[in-house]
Amino acid sequence: MQLYDISLKGLRRRLGRMALLLLSLVTAVATVVTLVSITRSLNHAVAHRLDEFGANIVIVPQASDLALSYGGISVGTAAYDVGELTLADLEPIGSIPNARNISVVAPKLLAAVDLGAGQVLMAGVLFSEEVRLKQWWQVRGAYPSGASGPVASTLGGHAPTALAVGRDGPSTEVLLGARLAQTLGLEPGDTLVHGGHTLLVAGVLQETGSQDDDILFVDLSLAQEIAGRPGEISLVEIAALCSDCPVEELVRQIGDVLPQARVSAVRQAVALRMETVGQLTQFALIVSLVVALIGGLIVLTTMLGAVAERRQEIGLFRALGFRRAHIQRVILGEALLISLAGGVLGWLAGMGAVLLLRPTIAELAMESPWDPILALVTLAGALAIGLAGSLYPARRAADLDPTTALRAL
Amino acid sequence: MIQLDNVAKTYNTNGAPVHALQGVNLHIAEGEFAAIVGPSGSGKSTLLSIIGAMNPPSQGRMLVDGIDVYSLSVERQADLRHEYLGFVFQQLQLLPYLTALENVLLGLAIARMRRADKLQRAQEALERVGLGSKGDRLPGQLSGGEQGRVAVARALVNAPPLILADEPTGNLDSATGRQILALLQELNAAGHTVIMVTHDAQATAHARRIIPILDGRLVAGEEAATDDDGENKVDRAHDD
Repeated sequence: MQLYDISLKGLRRRLGRMALLLLSLVTAVATVVTLVSITRSLNHAVAHRLDEFGANIVIVPQASDLALSYGGISVGTAAYDVGELTLADLEPIGSIPNARNISVVAPKLLAAVDLGAGQVLMAGVLFSEEVRLKQWWQVRGAYPSGASGPVASTLGGHAPTALAVGRDGPSTEVLLGARLAQTLGLEPGDTLVHGGHTLLVAGVLQETGSQDDDILFVDLSLAQEIAGRPGEISLVEIAALCSDCPVEELVRQIGDVLPQARVSAVRQAVALRMETVGQLTQFALIVSLVVALIGGLIVLTTMLGAVAERRQEIGLFRALGFRRAHIQRVILGEALLISLAGGVLGWLAGMGAVLLLRPTIAELAMESPWDPILALVTLAGALAIGLAGSLYPARRAADLDPTTALRAL
Repeated sequence: MIQLDNVAKTYNTNGAPVHALQGVNLHIAEGEFAAIVGPSGSGKSTLLSIIGAMNPPSQGRMLVDGIDVYSLSVERQADLRHEYLGFVFQQLQLLPYLTALENVLLGLAIARMRRADKLQRAQEALERVGLGSKGDRLPGQLSGGEQGRVAVARALVNAPPLILADEPTGNLDSATGRQILALLQELNAAGHTVIMVTHDAQATAHARRIIPILDGRLVAGEEAATDDDGENKVDRAHDD
């Protein structure tokens, strides 16, 4: 017979009460585990989506006199025809250490063209990449051919997309910004002629409220041909999955392989992403703390009740020579056992709930929920709740006077 | 062995002081079997709890082998209870969810010894009270007398020099009570000092010394002792 034997047998003795306590702990732990797991997955999914939602790195030529504005980003001068980068320059991007974090590489050639109604900004783009970059785009008609077809991706360090297109000759399908289409009076299916090229308006963008509303988007190769700047590009927009790596590090790595270019992070977008992710985490943390607090209070009241019920028994222990510390160890031993069971069962229940909920919570790119660190933290948390909630009852028990407790004396 | 010097105990009941004990001077030598005898409310249980290092007196001091018990810290008092004292309680205080053997083992739960040694000691204690084959029974599966014997085994398992018994026959039929008293006599004969509180005249017949108490005071001139034949004989009261 050791002190922990007394704890164990004490638990068995009060099976009903302890089963209720266990149920409470399991519920609390399972709630926290479910919440944390789902929040983590949501964080991951949101970060992933946000990462793909627009560019967070911009590459422009290394020129000091550029003042061109595109989408709020300074990319060149008013002449629109500054361009010192070529598609070939982008090749090394696929070989940077964090190449796998790069989701979209969207090179552009910007040039001014006269369509009869004044000069407009023509953006030569790779539609396949542009559409992935600007997932908020909605189009009347259709995207120009090549937008939805398979494209080589930079993910995993593959060659830049730009090198893989245009081999069958440039597409003459174009996409018009909403205001530009209105100005020119063009609709999907219409054609327009410029510099000997007949361009088919495949689609018109819904109004975006951005500079895109005024731009003529054409295939990059065609733009290079129209502008007479074969192979050149004005800027490159990159969407990087930077939720698990600092975007500054990606910027540095790209800068290292593109010394002739200026690489910069779009800080506002990054900050917004981090803020969103942070808010989700904060919410989970607060709810978890509240649940843990409630769990602790349930432990406290249950253990206080158990101590009151066992005054005589504890008095007997004291009369037999148990020190106060021994009594505390008996009570805390019970708390430890029940918390341990609560932690393990709660974690299993939480994982079960996560697996059940997973299919219903969107298309979460959920990592494997069987995270050993989460399991350990869960167990430690359950033990902390159980022990913290039992400290006061244990002290009350240890303070019991043997004669008060033993009414026989 | 036990020395009480001018011990008094006052309780506050609803703001009014109640003098449970007053001016108690008592010496109990090693090897004695003393019965503290008195009617209900006379203060005998309070006296036993003070001797049992569980209830500090309001006044005076209590020495065990020269140690002023209540000058010790609460934890050292607990140690003294563990090392010096074995209790047999009126209600026996067996834990219903532990077997007889486990109840006896409770007395050794905090002892620093190997589990196997504890088991051996507990088994020996049960055998000593004649329950060697019933160690695996729960108290509810034992008769009243057997439960009493388990309580005695628990009190002696730690080999304490002093055994305190509070109304050990209080809840037992007379035959079973006699068994328990015989056991206490055996323990006394084996060298344990036994102090028993009782108001049972039959029980006092087993003691070698009777200490009458009334209204919180030892009754001077009426202390008695028995000779070796078990017959009570009246001594001078120990009232110094």
